[in-house]
Parts: sequence; C-alpha cells; structure tokens
Amino acid sequence: MAPDGTVEATTMFELARYEGRHRVLGALALTAGLGLLAIMDIALYPSMSATVNFDDYLKALPPAVLQAFGITTMSTIQGFLSAELYAFGWVLLLGLYLAYSAAGLVADDVERGRMDVLLSLPVSRSRVVAEKYLSLLVPIAVLNVVTPVVVYVGTQLVGDPIPIADLLAVHALSIPYLLACAGLGLAASVVFDRASVAQRVAMAVLFALFLVQSMVTGTDYAWLGSPAPMRYYDPTAVLVQGEYDLAGAAILLVAALVLVVASQQWFRRRDV
Amino acid sequence: MAALELTGLRKEYGEVVANDDVSFAVEPGEVFGYLGPNGAGKTTTIRTVLGFQAPTAGTATVLGADVHDERALIEVKRRVGYLPATPAFDEHVTGWEILDLHASLKGDDRREELLSVFDVPLDRRVREYSTGNKQKLGIVQAFMHDPELVVLDEPTSGLDPLMQQRFNELVRAEKRRGVTVFFSSHVLSEVRQICDRVAILRDGRLVTTERVETLLRRSGKSVRLRAADSISPGAFDFEGVHDLDVRTVETDGSGEPGGGDGTPRESQDGGESTSEAHDGGASSAEANGGGESTPATDADGPVGPTVTECSFTYTGGINPLLDRLGGLDLVDLTVEEAPLEDVFMRFYGGDAAGGADEYGAGRDRGGDDDV
Repeated sequence: MAPDGTVEATTMFELARYEGRHRVLGALALTAGLGLLAIMDIALYPSMSATVNFDDYLKALPPAVLQAFGITTMSTIQGFLSAELYAFGWVLLLGLYLAYSAAGLVADDVERGRMDVLLSLPVSRSRVVAEKYLSLLVPIAVLNVVTPVVVYVGTQLVGDPIPIADLLAVHALSIPYLLACAGLGLAASVVFDRASVAQRVAMAVLFALFLVQSMVTGTDYAWLGSPAPMRYYDPTAVLVQGEYDLAGAAILLVAALVLVVASQQWFRRRDV
Repeated sequence: MAALELTGLRKEYGEVVANDDVSFAVEPGEVFGYLGPNGAGKTTTIRTVLGFQAPTAGTATVLGADVHDERALIEVKRRVGYLPATPAFDEHVTGWEILDLHASLKGDDRREELLSVFDVPLDRRVREYSTGNKQKLGIVQAFMHDPELVVLDEPTSGLDPLMQQRFNELVRAEKRRGVTVFFSSHVLSEVRQICDRVAILRDGRLVTTERVETLLRRSGKSVRLRAADSISPGAFDFEGVHDLDVRTVETDGSGEPGGGDGTPRESQDGGESTSEAHDGGASSAEANGGGESTPATDADGPVGPTVTECSFTYTGGINPLLDRLGGLDLVDLTVEEAPLEDVFMRFYGGDAAGGADEYGAGRDRGGDDDV
C-alpha cells in the first residue's frame, strides 16, 4: 500500500522534531557553558602543572574522592581533563541534567494538562513517549559534536594536543551513557504525575547510584555498583589508558532501550 | 452507527465513583449537550471516551472505535476534534507552532477560515495568552482538520459574550454541514441555544436524556418581582406557578426598614441578592419575635411604605404571565432561566433530595446562567 506508506512516512517524528526544535537553544547554552569549562581547564593546565605537583596533590586527597571521579593522574593534560571536564562535567553534571530533562518529558505535560491535547491527536502513547525521548538527542548531539572540537583546538593551541582517537572515543562512548541516564529520567516521568517529583526522584536515584558505585569500586562489594550507569563509562580509562569499554557501551544502550520500552508500556496502561 | 455511544460506562478513582453506569448515544449530525453541575463527572466521561483513562467497567465507542482498542481509537482521532475544559499548550512556543504541529498530525484544511472568526495572536508565545485566547486557540485546533465529531468540554468558559456568540454560530454552521457536536456545560441557557438533545448528569449518574425543548418546557423560568403595594399570595394563584414565596417588607417613613435590619433596604437599592436578603430578613424577624417582616401575609397593616417581594418558578407562557402581572404596581421584575439545580430539584425531586446538601454547597453552578 504505497499511499498509506507515504502518509505514514510523512507523519513520523513530527513530535520529536517539534520537541527537538525547542531544545536547540538550551543545548547551545549548555554547550557554551561546558565549552567554557573546557577552555578554562585547558588554558590553566600548563601554568598549573608547572607550579603544582599534581601527583603529590592527588596523594593528599582521600582515595574515595579519586575513586569517585576516576582520577588516576593529573600529570598529563588527558588525566587532568578526564577528571575535571569528563568525570565531573560529563558523567555527573550531564548525567544528572539528562535525567532531569527526561523526567520532565511526560510528567510536565500531564501535570499541566497538556497531555490531553496531545493525546487527542492521532498518535499512540508509545509514540509520544518515544519521540519525546528522541528529542533529547539534540542536546546530546550538539554537546558531543562541539565540545571535542573545542578540546582538540584548545589542546593544540597550548601545545599539548590530546590524541584525537581517544578524544572522539570519550565523546562517542558518552552517548550511550547519557541515553541511559535519560532513560532513567523517562521512567520516572511516566510513573509520577508531577514533574518536580519525577525530576527529584530521577536525580536522586542517579546520584545515589553514583555514590554507591564510587564507594564500592575496588572493594569486595563492587557488584553493588552494577546498576550504576557510571560503571560502564569511564572517561579516564579512555583518555589515560586508551581503553574503550565497548561492552559497557552496549550494556548502556540495552539499558536505555529497556527503560524506554518499559516507559512506553507503563504509559500505555495508565490513566492520564 | 452512533457517532458516540456509551454503554454502562463506569469510572472509579479509588473509592470515588465519578461515573456510574452512564449510557447514551449521540447520533450523527446531532448537537448534543452534556449537562450537569460542576463535579458531576462530565469531564470524566469525556476523558474516558477519548481514551485518556480506562473505564472501570462498561465501554464506549467513538465513530465506531472501541475505547479499549488503542489502534482503532487513534485511527478515528483524525476525524475527531477535542477541546479540553482548560486547554493548555506549551507556554514557550507561539500559537503558529502549536497549530503547525497539530496540522502535521491531523491536517488543517479550515485553519484560515477559523482564524478569521477567532482571531488568536498567533505570533505571540502562549505564555502571553489570556484565558480567552487559549480558549480560542483550543477551538481553532479542535475544528481545523474538519472533524466529523467534535467533543468540547465547557467550550464557552473563558470566552467573552461576542466570542460566545461566534462560537454558537460556528456550532450551528457545523451542524448544517453534518458535523456531530458533543459538548458539556453547566449552563442551561448555553445549551438551549444550540443543542438538539441533552443528557443530564448528576453525581456521576445519568438523570435523563431528552430533547432540549422538552427539558425547557419542564424546567420553567425563575421569576422575581417587587411591587410597591401589598399583594396577597392569592394574586399568583394561576397555572404554571410553583414554589411561590411572597414577603411583605414594611419600611418606616425614611425608607429604613422598621426593625433596623438592613437587608430589606439592600433589596430596595439593588436587588441582585434578593433571595439571600429574603432569607436574612426572615430569620432575623423570627429571632426578634417581631412582626415587621412577615412572610406571605399583608394582614398586619403596614406602618410605613411597603414593598412586596415575590419569587416563584413559572412553567407557563410568558404572555399570560405578563397579563397577570399587569395590574400590579411593579418596582422591579426579573424573568430568567431556572438555575440548573432548580431544574433537578423540581423534576428529579426523588434523586435531587438526596443530594440537596451538595447543591446547597455549590450554588455557583447555575448562577451565571444568563451571562
């Protein structure tokens, strides 16, 4: 049925496009912020590393802090950036940001009565959930396209270029991680009727997972950290050791998919 | 096939039964009013029928699609328009963007035509919209894809009188084009102007489904009058008068009420809250044990100027009424549609008596009848 197929093709992703368009400005602002953080880190590193002995400094820090932010060394710019920009900016800040944003996707519309108008349109609930989730690809994409360029050019300018393959890998592997964090937020968004509750729950759960994972790494209880998405994305391993955890990325993608499908099913069955 | 058909629809929210065994059918091309006080469960029915929530029991079909069948329901939603009770749209986008999104999903053959009638400030962001503008945007999106069935939840709330009139004209025009319109309201006068039939919901239960003329004939009018002289209740002993209440209010020479009770004077000045003033006057008179404000009698012999205040419900023709009242020295006369709760009280007495408290608590329900 060609005509039907055509109609179907023209009525796909309208919601994702609509939602995504309205995320562009926010994504650019966020990217500018993290870009500035990157530039500051890169610009300050040469003078700091000349005056501060980072390895002595790291020895003075509690091991738990090093563990939490995956810090192994700061004597190279890769080690410094992996701790300052990626472990903090990407894993923690962006992870929480995506969980927070995703938690508003459905709950906010339900809370403010917009979901009725949306569901009066000829769209399935599954599609509403999926397309709203897909709109988060806008900030994820903008951040991961612009930031590596900034970091690469920046490290070139200070005469300490970062290996380009590692840089691309640290960003590429962050995408499954961020998608999984967003999946967690989405699940909260379909379960709770109030956006603020969904957002708080999503961020609290993600942060708790982060803390547990930080505390148990390297102990006999390391298995306790297995639900934490941070376990499967380690920027330091990528940038310092050049190790890419592809299995971890696959696990994160599967987790994201499971969370999205579960959210769709939940939302299909519930009263709005 | 009915455009909308409900069969034993029941919806519970925890312990609360919001809809209980609601059954009726809206025929194609009909303008059907769903009438009931606020809180009766009208929105519950509408939201269940459109699939936003699952019925606890029973079912409904929309253009033949069962509400339990998500696929079928989505398919017919291309041919259904919907206006929620308080339409909400993304605050940070413009009206254009909202309508463009809706157009991309369901079409917009009639967008321009509707916008020429309901001028919405589309270039502005929804955040800046007044309630009326949101309502107009809601009306435009509900009709713009030329639906076969339009479901409207309290469509004229938030509209000014001019827009209400335009809305009524729109509904009449849609009816001529064969569109089925189902809308809820708590305002009888609104329903009577455009509806063919009404279903009345009370406490989640369907009270009746009937043609609007039949309902109006039975519901009658609320008549209030004040006369400068004394009138005996016998003056109103003619057909169509129900629930007669006659009060004679004596005033002293200065126009102040004899007992110092301010309420009769208030009635003389304005009269907007006549019935409350009556109640206040009567109860205070009883409490004082005095006779300066005596219901339904003029036998005491007034001391100063007297006004007689009467109220009754009238179900006869308007000309016979005016003939009867012609001989009286009237100061004021109000004839208006009976408030919805009075309609219930009068004609569904058995049912309504059980819910009398509830109606008392919600006097606003039919109060803005004639606005």
